[in-house]
Order: sequence, then C-alpha cells, then structure tokens
Amino acid sequence: MEEILAGTGEEQGREASSEEDVKILAFLCNWCSYAGADLAGVSRLQYPPNVLDIRVMCTGTISPYFVLKAFQEGIDGVLIAGCHIGDCHYDKGNYATAKRFRVIKDLLVGMGIDPRRIRLEWVSAAEGAKFQDVITSFTEQVRAAGKSPLARDRAALAKASGREGVDR
Amino acid sequence: MNEELGDAIKQALESGDASAAVVLTESGDEIVPRIVTGPDDPALESAYAGDRRYPMASFAILLLPGLEGRLAVPVRECDRRMLTELHKHNQVDTSRLVLLGVPCSQEVADACGCDHPFTPADIAIAGSLAHPAEPSPPPESLAEDPSERLAFWLDSFSRCIKCMGCRNICPMCYCKECALDDPNLVGQGSGPPDTPIFHLIRAIDMADRCVDCGMCEAICPSEIPLRQLYRMARLVVEEAFGYQPGLDPDQVSPIKMLGGPEDLGGMEGGSRAD
Repeated sequence: MEEILAGTGEEQGREASSEEDVKILAFLCNWCSYAGADLAGVSRLQYPPNVLDIRVMCTGTISPYFVLKAFQEGIDGVLIAGCHIGDCHYDKGNYATAKRFRVIKDLLVGMGIDPRRIRLEWVSAAEGAKFQDVITSFTEQVRAAGKSPLARDRAALAKASGREGVDR
Repeated sequence: MNEELGDAIKQALESGDASAAVVLTESGDEIVPRIVTGPDDPALESAYAGDRRYPMASFAILLLPGLEGRLAVPVRECDRRMLTELHKHNQVDTSRLVLLGVPCSQEVADACGCDHPFTPADIAIAGSLAHPAEPSPPPESLAEDPSERLAFWLDSFSRCIKCMGCRNICPMCYCKECALDDPNLVGQGSGPPDTPIFHLIRAIDMADRCVDCGMCEAICPSEIPLRQLYRMARLVVEEAFGYQPGLDPDQVSPIKMLGGPEDLGGMEGGSRAD
C-alpha cells in the first residue's frame, strides 16, 4: 500500500498534484470500470489527476479492510467502481460489493467520517464519459470535504512520538 | 440455584442425553471452568450459576469437534444467541448441544444494560427472570456534529494498549487466521496499535455477528466503548437488511449470502453525493 501511495504526482508523468491537494484511491473492476477508464483515456477525456487506481478482477474481491487501510494510510477519498447490477462478469460479484459498501459507509459515517469521502459507482466499459464525470465530481466532492482528519491525526502522532510512522 | 444447575447437568449425563458437560466451579475467589464426563464428578457439587459471566459459547467451538455425543452447556440468553449465530456461521452444530438456561438476575441485566435478559421457559432451570434494561451508549458517540463523534472515537481508540482482550474473549471472533495479525493491514509488534483500523476491522466483522453480550467492553482495561461501536455496525445491518444476529435460527446473514437485487440494501444504483 505505501508503495502505491508513494507513487503519486510527478514521477508518474501526470500533472503535478500539490501536497495540499486531495488523494483519492479508486478500485476499478477489470471488466467494466477499468475498461471504462481506458475508453475515457483513448477518447482523450480530461479528468483530475488526483486518482490512483487499483485494478481488481471484480469489485466483489474488495474486502472492507482495504477501504479501512486506505483511510488508515491517509487517503482522502475512496471510490469503488464496478459493473452495473446484473452485468457482473462473475454474475453476482457486485451484489456482495453493494451490501458490504452499505455497511462500511454507514459505519464510517456513524463514526464521524465525512460521507463525501466514500462512493460506489457502477461504470460500464462503454461509459467513458460517465467515468470522466464520476472522477470529476468525486474529486470536487472530496476537495470540498478537505484533507482527511485521519491523515492529520497520523501526522500529529508521528510528530509527537518523533517517528515517521507507528512502530512496526 | 447452584445446586439446581448441578442436578440438571447430572440428570443430562445420567440419562445419556449428553456425554460431557462444561461446568463453572467456584474455587476460592475464582470461577474455573471444568469438563465433566460422568454424573458422579465432584465438580458438579460446586457448580456455579451466579452473577459472574463467562464466554460459554467458546467451549462449544473448542470441544464439539473432539467429542462423541452431545455437550451440555449452561447458557445465559446472550450465550444462546451466540450459539444460534455460530450455528449459522458453521462453527457449532446446535443439535449437538444440550442447553441449560441460567437466568440472569436483575443486577446482571442492569449492569449489562441488556435488552434481552430473559431465558425462555423451555430451557431455563429454576430462577426468576429479569426485566429488560435500557442500554446506555456514551452521549458523545451520538453527537450531531461528525467531527465531535470522530474526535470521541479517536480519543477512545488512542487509549488502546493492544491487549487483544476484545478479540480473545469474543466467541463470535472465531476465525483461525485473524486480520488483526496480518502485517499488511495492522502494524505488528510492540507499540500502540494502528488506530482506527485496528478497532474498525473488528467492528466490520461484528456487523452481522455481534449479539451485544458486552463482554468485550467489560474486559477492556482501557474502557473503550466497544459495545457502542459494534452496536453502530449492527444497527447498519439491521436498518439496511432487517437482520439481527442470533435471534432467528433460520434467517441467514445478508452479508454471507448473495441474494437477489431486492436484497441490496438500497445500493443497486450505486451511491450519490450526500
């Protein structure tokens, strides 16, 4: 996870996103949303460079722990995008996603995390424009929510203990 | 009441209804669990059915695989809910258990803030039944302002000393490989735990399992309001899917089954900006 998070901004040849800008982690399903992102790319549709994407074979493989880990490592927003209900390559993988997402989102919101930081979208391989739209609006949404309070909390903790991170 | 429990176990062993039993015995100030295989075992004389609690469902998970015949277990209502839920998660076979209901006194029910303190008459041995008590969640956890709630939880979690007591006492935490031991998710070794992920991993897992017995909170040396955390997770599942762990033996956890489009808890269109 740290390696992925470290690889933001300039070294990936993207438009440099400043330290203050938000970081978003997107889990994209191999069959629909990743292909949708591909379509957005080959169609030369512009969208904000704040998103780091992780390709998964199915959104049903995304453990709620991954979402927790992303926030733990200081990510400001998490997007999960997969096939529309009924279109799943594995028939019903996204049913599991939909149910788990409801639980994890409501739990995080109940704990006091901003609901704008986590989002589930269904983006098919033909919906390049929707992908652009989702990324643009989600980035704006997360920017409005600001930097994650958990990231600030971790930075303060590391500073207070004189260490870079928590003892491993 | 202690004698009544001893007699009930003795009877179950004599009639061959059960081939072994777990019994709590008083030994000085301590409560010690013992395994009894015959009706003449002296441990039955000091059977304990008092106010102190013990995670009895864990014995069923531990003992059933190596046992021929049935196991008699004294249970409170919360233990019974745990066993019902564990059966649905394929961890115990409740048809191989002889449940001997131990009713909670009103003091226990009040101390637990328990809203299900009764023991149904069909399995209860003698004793008076308690009235339901009101749970009392910490008011900060219900604050209107999200940043106040977050501050409350982060402050509570920061007291954690990673004793693993909450996981170890919980019979519903049955996984052989625990996510809390995974170095990819949670930092291992000495030092304070990674918060809030350490506590949230368990909260997520408790969403469709926790029966609100409250032993995690009772055992926590740092007095983290874990019960309220898991209650929040459970309420999500209850509101979204109408599922309450441990109550209906025939209803399957919505997280465990795939179901149809009507079971998606309102997420069939994805989420929108709130």
